[in-house]
Amino acid sequence: MDIKLPHSLLKEFLDTSAKPEQIAKSLSLCGPTVDRITSYKNDYLYHIEVITNRIDSASAFGIAREAATILPQFKYKAKIKNDPYQLNLKQLGDLPKNSPLNLQILDNSLIPRFTAITLTNTQVKPSPKPVQDWLNLSGLRPLNNVIDITNELTLKYGQPVHAFDLDKIANQQLILRESKKGESITTLDGRVHHLQGGDIVIQDGSGRLIDLCGIMGGQLSAIDSNTKNVLLFVQTYEPKHIRKTSLYTQERTLAAQIFEKKPDPELVLPTLIAGVKLLEQRANATISSNLIDLYPNPTKTKTINLDLNWLNQFAGINLKPTQVSSILKKLGFTSKSITSQVLRVTVPSWRHHDINLTQDLAEEIIRIHGYFRLPSNLPSTTIPHTQTDPLLKHEYQARSYLSNLGFTEIYNLSLVSQDLFRQTNHKLEPKLKLSNPLSGEFEYLRTSLIPSLLSNLDANRGKVAPPLRLFELAHTYHSTKSTLPDETSTLSFITYGLDFFTTKGYLEALAKHLHLNLKFKPLAKKTPPFITKHSASVYYHNHHLGTLGIISPEVTSRFNLNQTVVCADLNFAKLSLQINPILNFKPIPQYPSIYEDITLTSTKPVADLITQLENAHPLIVSVEYLTSHQHNHTFRLEFNDPQGNLTQAKVTQIKNNLKS
Amino acid sequence: MDDLEIIKKQATQQIQSAKDLEALDKLQTQYLGRKGLVNQYLSSLPKEALKSQGRLINQTKQYIDQLIAKRQKSLQQVQQEIDVTIPGILPPIGHLHLITQTIKEIEDIFTKLGFVRRRYPEVETDWYYAEGLNIPKDHPARDDQETFYINPEVVLTAHTSNGQLREMELLKKPPIKMINISKTYRRQASNTHSPMFHQFEGLVVDKDINITHLIGVSNFFVQSYFGSDRQVRLRPHHFQFTEPSFEVDINCHLCKGRGELNGKSCPVCKAGWLELGGAGMVHPQVLKNGGINPDRFTGFAFGWGIERLIMMKHNVTNNLRDLYTSDLRFLNQS
Repeated sequence: MDIKLPHSLLKEFLDTSAKPEQIAKSLSLCGPTVDRITSYKNDYLYHIEVITNRIDSASAFGIAREAATILPQFKYKAKIKNDPYQLNLKQLGDLPKNSPLNLQILDNSLIPRFTAITLTNTQVKPSPKPVQDWLNLSGLRPLNNVIDITNELTLKYGQPVHAFDLDKIANQQLILRESKKGESITTLDGRVHHLQGGDIVIQDGSGRLIDLCGIMGGQLSAIDSNTKNVLLFVQTYEPKHIRKTSLYTQERTLAAQIFEKKPDPELVLPTLIAGVKLLEQRANATISSNLIDLYPNPTKTKTINLDLNWLNQFAGINLKPTQVSSILKKLGFTSKSITSQVLRVTVPSWRHHDINLTQDLAEEIIRIHGYFRLPSNLPSTTIPHTQTDPLLKHEYQARSYLSNLGFTEIYNLSLVSQDLFRQTNHKLEPKLKLSNPLSGEFEYLRTSLIPSLLSNLDANRGKVAPPLRLFELAHTYHSTKSTLPDETSTLSFITYGLDFFTTKGYLEALAKHLHLNLKFKPLAKKTPPFITKHSASVYYHNHHLGTLGIISPEVTSRFNLNQTVVCADLNFAKLSLQINPILNFKPIPQYPSIYEDITLTSTKPVADLITQLENAHPLIVSVEYLTSHQHNHTFRLEFNDPQGNLTQAKVTQIKNNLKS
Repeated sequence: MDDLEIIKKQATQQIQSAKDLEALDKLQTQYLGRKGLVNQYLSSLPKEALKSQGRLINQTKQYIDQLIAKRQKSLQQVQQEIDVTIPGILPPIGHLHLITQTIKEIEDIFTKLGFVRRRYPEVETDWYYAEGLNIPKDHPARDDQETFYINPEVVLTAHTSNGQLREMELLKKPPIKMINISKTYRRQASNTHSPMFHQFEGLVVDKDINITHLIGVSNFFVQSYFGSDRQVRLRPHHFQFTEPSFEVDINCHLCKGRGELNGKSCPVCKAGWLELGGAGMVHPQVLKNGGINPDRFTGFAFGWGIERLIMMKHNVTNNLRDLYTSDLRFLNQS
């Protein structure tokens, strides 16, 4: 979460010679990141990123505690002051005997610590200007002195506080419980929330909900200009409840963001004491009740043993025991030497949830020492006995080769819309629909790359003159019986303004480059969006690898394309498996070859004629297709005899046998 | 082989190797002149053979004539000047996408250090994506990852860290050195963010791996990729699956890490440094989840964005989405 902290508010808790720039830079290197500083009339504002596990530093005092430890590392003097942990009940003097309210907590697990006290004779009026400035700079709205105090305490200590108008609470009765599904509450921002149930709420004596706990107070019990009796209210809540409620009601208030991250219950009472003192000062209020403080399971102190040898090995440097314990001490940890190399470290209450392992302690010590001061070494690890999947290499070969042939590579999003796939008559899989899409535009994982490539052609109309050659090599997704879908490496390339055989030539060239001998068969079954009669199934032996063909005009017209679109769509994962990792070279023939052209008249597919010629005689070593004219097909044959020189007579004899 | 064949063969050879037009003129006379070799052959034939050979002789004459004309043309061309500044006839020019090129570059750099390249699932179970990486279901850390869900148990990965657990399971014991390069997804779409992008995850697990090794490998990478005058620094950060966690910065190339240029603050960086991405020492719980004993082995991991690297290196654009454009006027620049 990001907080805004005025420099003048930080100075309430920090004595230092360092300037704001220097404070920001030092903090960023060893602690919370200060994203930037903005300056105002007579103040500066730090924009600070507070990380999830350091809710203790989401406040002026928390940042001061970090700064007091970090700044001396950069030779700036720094000390904390006004430490709230020093506040105690003595400072409130003798309290009245009466209880502030009639309280029932129906489930103790919802509320680790609960404190409350009432004040009377409160004079509601605007806050002093400096306080209003702090709130404004921090992104909060000044309202009146009482409400402002609750917000100011949150900014100062990172402990949210709430104040009710006691006279608006029926029978001064509070019942703290989980909400039931269907109950509703109007919060201070005027929004009505229909609750899902399981939210922490407070109901008053007449059964009305007056607080959506940890998120925002209810309107019913709000402080207004006539308020006299104030119920001051400080606690911590069970964090998961708060998070759930805050997310679904979309009330990401500062309080909610703090409560969901387990703030320190030990800070609850000091915050209440500080609040009472401010109400006395600024609203002339006087305490009118005893204090309720329910804290059934106080945080137990936690100790961790830290082995200094381990620490130095983990850090890769040598830190002296004195350095280590001095850093820990400044951060509020206490440490005791058990042996010369082992420290028993006690974790302060505000770091209870965050520090559990020696690694956590190592982080504290090394970050304050300064990660940026560590040397740079390459590990001397041996190389693991494992290989990269050849598919990854083949993908790169195919990409490079296609780009060398003149194709431009495109990266399209894997997420597509239903509309796009409707246009190409491709099927989407309902099982691969996102449950929380950003919009209909990115809703499904794509099962084919072709629709995206067609829209790429459309997008380039009038910008780049045809012919166009595009390709994409990416995963397509296909649901399976198991939990996860197949992610299939897929290669699709598309030409615009070129004919079928030119495009087929590209595919054959790619196959040659990968040393794969592909076979093409007429498309046996309808495969949208291809024209069945102008498309082929692509095979390697009996492995079906994909389709090559002309896209139907019905589809291309939807993409405003008026020239021929030819597309190859290949299961590249399958294709990659057929690539032989080892090339076998044959020796060059010892005797010269003789080349002869031959024309056959046949209605068979040319591919069959080629196979027929290849297998017609052992001395025919290669067959090259030349041209066709109606049913007459011309081929160039290469004859070669490994045993000796071929005679023209022998070749003529073989040729004549072929013709008959 | 009769004489005519010999004449033909000889003529072919001599004409094709004639050095200049003068030599060609001589050959013309030598073969086709009134007293040339062809006529000599003709007159050497007995009368009765003339009929049968006549056609053959004429064909030979024509053949030699064509040969001379062809050679003449090419010799004339050599003597004529051509404008060499006229552009050549281009074959089609294709382009590898910048992302492909960058992935290859990254792979090559890490291969030098003995890393093996992997590609782990983009569509992943919640365990590998989060739970196994120490991010429980209702943890606030999930806020940082605006995640796309297929169903409550299956997500599109928002980071490549799922590769950590998968690699540990695959190899079963250290040494582990892998780089997982994959598509990643976040529920975001803005000028600077695309819902799909690419990340690469490095993982090293072995005995005695420490923080300085993470710095060493990061430096090796940025110096190989950006140039030898670049270096990294670490700052504290937090991820659930590393402890400690870092933000890795690189010094800015423009202001040389000073943070200012001509008395103004540098337009490119924040105070002399640019953020590269996150890294950390693998959390003991993650090692355990991957079946590796955290008391015997330590490791480090990092996960950085590929588009980010491209933007930092090629000044491509401030708009990451340009990399996903289908506009060839942009793509054909790569």
